[in-house]
Amino acid sequence: MTPAAVLVAALAASSGSSQDTNSTDVRLAPRWPDGTLSFTGPPGEIGNWDGRPGSTLGANVFEDALDVSEFNLPTNLRIDEIPFKPWARALYDYRQATFTKDDPHTRCKPSGGARMFHTPYGFEILELPDTAEIIFLSVGAPHSWRVVHMDGRAHPANAEPTWFGHSVGHWEGDTLVIDTVGFNEGFWISREGLPHTSQLHTIERLSRPDFDTLRYEITIDDPGAYTETWSGGWLIPWIPGNEPFDYLCQENNLDAARMVGPRE
Amino acid sequence: MFCKGIAWAVGFGGLAVIASPALAHHSFRSQYDADQPVTLTGYVTKIDWMNPHVYFYIDVVDAETGEADNWGFEMGPPHMLERRGWKRNSMQIGDELEVHGTRARDGSFTANARRVMLKATGQVLGAASSESQTITTGEPAR
Amino acid sequence: MSGSARELVLGLLIGCACIVAACSDTPRPAPRYPDGLLRFDSPPGEKGYWGRASVSSLFERGVVVGMSEQGLLDNIEDAARVAPFQPWALALYEYRQSNGLKDDPVRFCLSPAGPRHLHAPGGFRIIQERNYDRVYILFGGGNRNWRLIHMDGREPPNPEEVSGTYYGHSTGAWEDDTLVVESSGFNARFWFSNGGLPHTEALRLTERFSRPDFATLRYEVTVDDPLTYTRPWTAEWTVDWVEGGEIKEQFCEQTG
Repeated sequence: MTPAAVLVAALAASSGSSQDTNSTDVRLAPRWPDGTLSFTGPPGEIGNWDGRPGSTLGANVFEDALDVSEFNLPTNLRIDEIPFKPWARALYDYRQATFTKDDPHTRCKPSGGARMFHTPYGFEILELPDTAEIIFLSVGAPHSWRVVHMDGRAHPANAEPTWFGHSVGHWEGDTLVIDTVGFNEGFWISREGLPHTSQLHTIERLSRPDFDTLRYEITIDDPGAYTETWSGGWLIPWIPGNEPFDYLCQENNLDAARMVGPRE
Repeated sequence: MFCKGIAWAVGFGGLAVIASPALAHHSFRSQYDADQPVTLTGYVTKIDWMNPHVYFYIDVVDAETGEADNWGFEMGPPHMLERRGWKRNSMQIGDELEVHGTRARDGSFTANARRVMLKATGQVLGAASSESQTITTGEPAR
Repeated sequence: MSGSARELVLGLLIGCACIVAACSDTPRPAPRYPDGLLRFDSPPGEKGYWGRASVSSLFERGVVVGMSEQGLLDNIEDAARVAPFQPWALALYEYRQSNGLKDDPVRFCLSPAGPRHLHAPGGFRIIQERNYDRVYILFGGGNRNWRLIHMDGREPPNPEEVSGTYYGHSTGAWEDDTLVVESSGFNARFWFSNGGLPHTEALRLTERFSRPDFATLRYEVTVDDPLTYTRPWTAEWTVDWVEGGEIKEQFCEQTG
């Protein structure tokens, strides 16, 4: 059997049989022949990941209750606990008060950081061991691709700032750890409008506690905007049968002009 | 695990059209006011079946004055609508529609559609509306 | 001949043989998967991407016309020779050419989709995803978009029922070492070539990708749009492999 066929068969075997559930019948994540966790599905089981609305890095308070989705990590901080610098907190409050009307994502700008992981319409993960990469494909805006280098390289010394930054990854057990630097400041790191500067350094941790769940957590290390590092994240469901589709934000984008925020 | 907690029914008929939580690339709240629901009936004048949102426009005639206001409605992207039973030719210029939605904040004759009834057939289709996303509260954090 | 002299001669002979081999015309063969399938991306342990095309626009095979990197004809009188245009299409093409391509939708960051991505700058990679029977093409140009080719034998949707897209609906299959891709279901809101050759939603493309040697992608596309052209026609070009290179992140959308 060729290596490619072994891979395919292994992915099928690891998640297709009734033996591959734990004691509570939760289906286990599939694995490559070498035991590495896979974020994809077995042959014939099309699907992808689609972050849910309400997924946020920090929990706001609304009508005396935490505005928190069932998907957010229980370790997420309340907004008052996030170690903002004063200017960053003020900017976050402004963005919230104006209902995120200035969001560059809505103006078809690419977004690095956590944004892809709660942008609608899902994302695909391409695992490419031959070229030592993992590539994330976003279906929604900007319908683009982000590379994580898995070949042990270091970050370049003076990376030109980009939307997605320069990402290097490695495995810690069953957790994919992605370290990224070199961001520009043209985007918001998450939908709720958390600020950042070009000093942003993120550490993302992706794991798959069961077949249907991707656990996403990001550590924000940005001394320009925050006084300490802090973390937040959410759970992302596997959507069986979901396939990517053609989507271009620039096609007929009327939203930006209409995002007026609250009126006095 | 997640599928248990989410209504994944895809409806393309009947009055109770509950689609999977439809999402948008932008904040619904920044454009539309949940305190201003609208239900309007009119005839289709234009259809933009494009990303990121489908827009359609109807002439809503004031019964007393006989004058028409042209209202624009936003729905989800074409692919999400097509998954909910729409075809690109489901709606035609001149069709009479009854539309339930949420009015725009900017005071224009614009709304976000939640569901659309094609009056000729009675078919009701969900609009893959962005209304269900709850990212921002609009309140300063406490 | 003494031992040291023999070694010297032997060394020289080996050295000459190496030089001859390096200077020979025998190109490195295209990489393959262990099961023999042609591989369009890098072999294990290497990097690279498809970079510069041998053409800067679409024009019918056998036609020789001068044009710029952007597909602007050196001589507008050559317009009618570029492809077998319907009269309206020729008029539109000449109009676009005459006004310096100012209406090009890429100025609004709409994708240089269709065959255009394969002769426009930015480079691309062809990723064969064998778990789901898909081929992805990842583009460095335009807005760093990507396109999906289904390899599972599915039928395309009825274009009357679904909206046309920029990348169309693509299905592919292998004919020996050639990946043959059929696409339909395009919209007409983009220019599918540098230089503004027109098309309509009736457009169907048949693309043939092959890799005659490691460093060369051969691309052939048959354009079948009876509303725009009087008959199907074919263009072809090659694209060079950039060994060791990586596509730079760039977006049509600018900062701020």
